[in-house]
Amino acid sequence: MPLTRYTYTHAVSAFFEFPTENARAILPAHLQPLEVQHESSILAVTAFDFIGSMVGAYQEIVLSVIVPPLVSPGLGIAKSAFYPFLVGTSTEASREHAIERWHLPHYMRDIEVDFTPGEGRMRVEVREGERPILEMEVAEHRASPVDHLYQSFMIGGDERFKVDIHMRGPHSEHEEELGSLTLHEHPMTSQLDRPRVSRFPFREQWMRDGVQVFEELETI
Amino acid sequence: MSTARTAPSPTPVDRLRDYDYTNFYFGAGSEPFGILEPFGEWWRDAEFGSGYYLYSLPMESAPSVRVAIDDPKRGESLEGLINFASYNYLGISYRPEVIEAVCDGVRKYGAGASGSPILSGSMDLHKAFEHEIADFKGKEAALIFPSGYSANVGVIAGLMRPGDLIVADKLAHASIVDGMILSKATSRFFRHNDPDDLDRKLEGFPGKKLVVVEGVYSMDGDLADLPEILEVCRRHGARLMIDEAHSTFVYGSNGRGVAEHFGLDEEVDIHLGTFSKSLGALGGFVAGRRELIWYLRGFARARVFSCALPPGVVAGLRKALAIAANEPELRETLWDNARYMHSLLAERQVDVGDSTSQVISIMIRDDAGIFQIAEELLHAGVYMNPIRYPAVGKHKSRFRMSVSAAHTRADLEEGAEIITTILRKHGKCP
Repeated sequence: MPLTRYTYTHAVSAFFEFPTENARAILPAHLQPLEVQHESSILAVTAFDFIGSMVGAYQEIVLSVIVPPLVSPGLGIAKSAFYPFLVGTSTEASREHAIERWHLPHYMRDIEVDFTPGEGRMRVEVREGERPILEMEVAEHRASPVDHLYQSFMIGGDERFKVDIHMRGPHSEHEEELGSLTLHEHPMTSQLDRPRVSRFPFREQWMRDGVQVFEELETI
Repeated sequence: MSTARTAPSPTPVDRLRDYDYTNFYFGAGSEPFGILEPFGEWWRDAEFGSGYYLYSLPMESAPSVRVAIDDPKRGESLEGLINFASYNYLGISYRPEVIEAVCDGVRKYGAGASGSPILSGSMDLHKAFEHEIADFKGKEAALIFPSGYSANVGVIAGLMRPGDLIVADKLAHASIVDGMILSKATSRFFRHNDPDDLDRKLEGFPGKKLVVVEGVYSMDGDLADLPEILEVCRRHGARLMIDEAHSTFVYGSNGRGVAEHFGLDEEVDIHLGTFSKSLGALGGFVAGRRELIWYLRGFARARVFSCALPPGVVAGLRKALAIAANEPELRETLWDNARYMHSLLAERQVDVGDSTSQVISIMIRDDAGIFQIAEELLHAGVYMNPIRYPAVGKHKSRFRMSVSAAHTRADLEEGAEIITTILRKHGKCP
């Protein structure tokens, strides 16, 4: 299978502390949450504005738990690893594609992801029709070109999968705690102990005009 | 097992730029040593290629105002460096009378205590020192520990139990975090110095609650917002513990710490401190009400199951404490020096973040570039430790400058000039 490429104008992401107890309830048994502090794990919220893919343009929101990457001789060293526990997209075609190819769990209705750039900031609003799902704000930092390797873990029935993902493009990252997150009551956020998810990110990332490249899906 | 090809390994240059200790915390597979090969591959390049050798540089002199440092990369001994790296805030550790007291202690008691403090390791001078510390802190009793680390671990895990709640500032020292882990109590962290977030973290918890803060935060040089934090604690029925590792003997009209500085000495429930900073030696203590100390004497396992402090060290500490208590002019000199260094750096528009204390964070905000700057500072005559991720947040790299009462104005001026020259060269100040 050839490498799968997705090009985007914006990929904004932020890490929020939330209870490890909640993270463990979300993760499959073979994965452990990576703790930023004792009993405090990491919820990653990532929004993409894809402009080029096998299934056209679409917007996407990914809710993930950060987990330790696999590090062993002969493997590339990943920047970080995650377990996406729910993905929302703006088109049916993008959902079908990602479920079939990557076993990514999806919310099965169309959602809208609005990107509103401000002065050095990006506001992301996610909703389903009139019903709000979340609002996230991420601030920018100095950007430099990167080619970062990430590992994504998925499951399908009894099978366990991993895929290596490269994120290429100008990348800005900081821990100035300038952003914010509001989670609303919605089926997409139902797995989260919302009052105990931090409203402030401890890390914020922003990539512009980049490409996301998926390697082949691996069974682990 | 993997059925597909894997991504290519990063080049050495990528590894140096993009990787740090955090990438090697977990290894794959069932072999405990499986992580060592990829880590070793990175470390071989990173130790000297990145600049990790700059940690643990061998000091070839006392940690006084001017020090000699061995540079293993160039095979040189660097002498006469202005020392802004040591915690010797009052310049006590190398005072002749302290050294003499240490020697007297060793001559009388030998090299070590040869026992746990609850068995044979407590000598008359350990007991006397505990009383002296309690008097200095104005508390009913005190207990001394082999280190500041063991004091935090011992007190927190000695007092709190599964089912209880401990909430600490997110910048709390690792020893506080380790005490929380060891206690098996529920652990939460609040945003740095944010009473509103502390309020949220305490809200609705029905059981016993302990809040832990530091007096001066060692990486940022700022103070706990004690009045507001205390108010939140009282509202939720939580006890408050303060770790004054960097503020005891320095802050407050009597040098008791930040709690005294805010006039809240009596309101704080548990007072921690160390002897490795302002007293310049080793050890830690807890001070508070008598029953607390009696209780911890039995339940602080980090103390019970460690050898007591060496008697020579305790003898030196007693002398150092006497100096700190009887020479308040040392604190005044320290604050004069700290204010002067803050003003020198402000004149030169050097970014010092939120620091207001004798610990000054010189913000570089460049994780990749800070080691190069550290090397240049070292060879220009200034010794300061670079601090970078994961010890602080990403792109919050900095130098932690410790000002001492022993620095002269000339030392401070020369140091500020060297620092500014190097920072300018790297575009880190105007």
